[in-house]
Amino acid sequence: MEYSIIQVALVFIVTFVAAIDQFNFLESLYQPIVTGAVIGLILGDLNTGLLVGGTYQLMTIGNMPIGGAQPPNAVIGGIMAAILAIATGLEPNAAVGLAIPFALLGQLGVTLVFTLMSPLMSSADNMAHNADTKGIERLNYFAMALLGLIFAVVVTLFFIAGATIGQTIASAIPTWLQTGLSAAGGMMRFVGFAVLLKVMMNRDMWGFFLMGFGLALITVANDSLATPALLILALIGFGIAFWDFQQQTELKGAAVSDGGDFEDGI
Amino acid sequence: MASNEYVIPEHYEDLTPAPQLDQKTLNKMAWRSCFLQASFNYERMQAAGWLYSIIPGLEKIHTNKNDLAASMSHNLEFFNTHPFLVTFVMGIVLSLEQNKVDIPTIRAVRVAAMGPLGGIGDALFWLTLVPITAGITSNMAINGNAAAPIIFLVIFNAVQFALRFWLMNWSYKLGTSAIDALTANMQAFTRAASIMGVFVVGCLVVTMGGTQINLQIPNGTTRGLSATTVIVSEKEAKNFTGMEGIDTETAEAGTIAMTDKDGNALTASDADGNAVTCGVTDLGNGMESVTYGTVTEDPVNFSVADTLNTIVPKLVPLMLTLLLYYMFAKHSWTPTKGILLLFVLGILGAGPLGLWPSIW
Repeated sequence: MEYSIIQVALVFIVTFVAAIDQFNFLESLYQPIVTGAVIGLILGDLNTGLLVGGTYQLMTIGNMPIGGAQPPNAVIGGIMAAILAIATGLEPNAAVGLAIPFALLGQLGVTLVFTLMSPLMSSADNMAHNADTKGIERLNYFAMALLGLIFAVVVTLFFIAGATIGQTIASAIPTWLQTGLSAAGGMMRFVGFAVLLKVMMNRDMWGFFLMGFGLALITVANDSLATPALLILALIGFGIAFWDFQQQTELKGAAVSDGGDFEDGI
Repeated sequence: MASNEYVIPEHYEDLTPAPQLDQKTLNKMAWRSCFLQASFNYERMQAAGWLYSIIPGLEKIHTNKNDLAASMSHNLEFFNTHPFLVTFVMGIVLSLEQNKVDIPTIRAVRVAAMGPLGGIGDALFWLTLVPITAGITSNMAINGNAAAPIIFLVIFNAVQFALRFWLMNWSYKLGTSAIDALTANMQAFTRAASIMGVFVVGCLVVTMGGTQINLQIPNGTTRGLSATTVIVSEKEAKNFTGMEGIDTETAEAGTIAMTDKDGNALTASDADGNAVTCGVTDLGNGMESVTYGTVTEDPVNFSVADTLNTIVPKLVPLMLTLLLYYMFAKHSWTPTKGILLLFVLGILGAGPLGLWPSIW
């Protein structure tokens, strides 16, 4: 599939914005559910964009920058998954699986950028000592632009290469590999779930996890509740959490001497 | 000039409290807080972005240039908190700066405030708000609803900006006492957020876990007789009645017959599954209705998925999640390792090179 100069430029701009947005600004524009749809619009296949964006988003839920950890980069991963699916006609789960190596590459890139930015701090110190407010502002703008540029250049190169050779690659992939990639792509979300559990779980929380699992099984068994299922479940979860909060704070008020020296999962 | 020579003082030169910051400046800083991580790096993390965010306030407070330099310098020390809740720290620190409190005190408050917010923010945003909103809207997007990304953005940002601006104003007014207000109920709050979080993850395993083992294991065959009724002339009917009896246990699939080897009429099942007896009925007009049976032999498959579902539906997603949790929590696996494991699992399960049948 051939793409026009305008499409290439738009992909460049979208990646530039998304790369900055992943740590700044709205910190939500970069999410695959958004970039997938935008890339879909640019490449003229909104439906596939939505489908892949939604699929990739499910995988990243929980695979968030928690506690400063760097997850596989959702900016490169999400954009590449949409590009690959539209350019090669791969099935969404397979496209997501194929985009994972790009996301890992992006993760590496972010770590590299964060390391290389460290020396900038000594020049920032000098500016602070001289009360150079404009200098601090420029330094921040420069750092953002640098991150955006690195991402935009890399993704655009992948995009141009992918648009021409993508189809060849896709047709060369044997069925078992496509099935395997699809299955792997569909399973990736469990990594996110497990990371969430690791952060939040302690021994007395397992009951709440299992309760959520059980109640969800009942809810999804009812077809008419398929769409609002999560919202309904969230309401139940909120009720339980709120009740626990009230219990905890009341207990605390009753026992003033309690120093509360236990540490929770977070 | 060199940074080593500069020593951050303990007190500001001008100790007269500055006038209250106006709403416009507070709003400006709340807006700038969106760029907290602009120059994120592993040495000071959000420090330079933090300083960038509070510069409008510092410029108003410290009209003395030396004081501004001192304030900027200590505010460029290591800083890391939750990006969406940072305005809470900003409000407190600025109320202290405005009252020209000793620099070590401001530093201590800043460090004390930034720590706990990380956990609360993660619980609130990454573990609750994003999984729920993105979870619902992802399913909408997969169903082709173009409004899904917009709904996601609106909900997420409405919460984000409401919190940013509200926390900024609230904590600026509360000053130092806000830290106590937060820490008083912090453990209970963190616990409640975690409960909600693990509950939602339990739900997500069900609503989003689609992995299933679709393997069908061949488990012998089942034999049967399917009944066919035809209307033929009396003469043709002789062809049927003259057929040999068969042994239903051994006859090849496709054999047709009306009697078994002892000459008794066969009982076959029609298309609706009802049992009918084979035989000939005279219709009285020279035609006869003949019912005969055809031996059938169908393969029987043992479905792994059905068996697993009788234990509990979504067993595979649950097991995979727990396995990964175990590797992450007890064996210090990185998420990347988990991803690689699933990759290998996915490919091996698909029967690479056609070596074995795919289980997906």
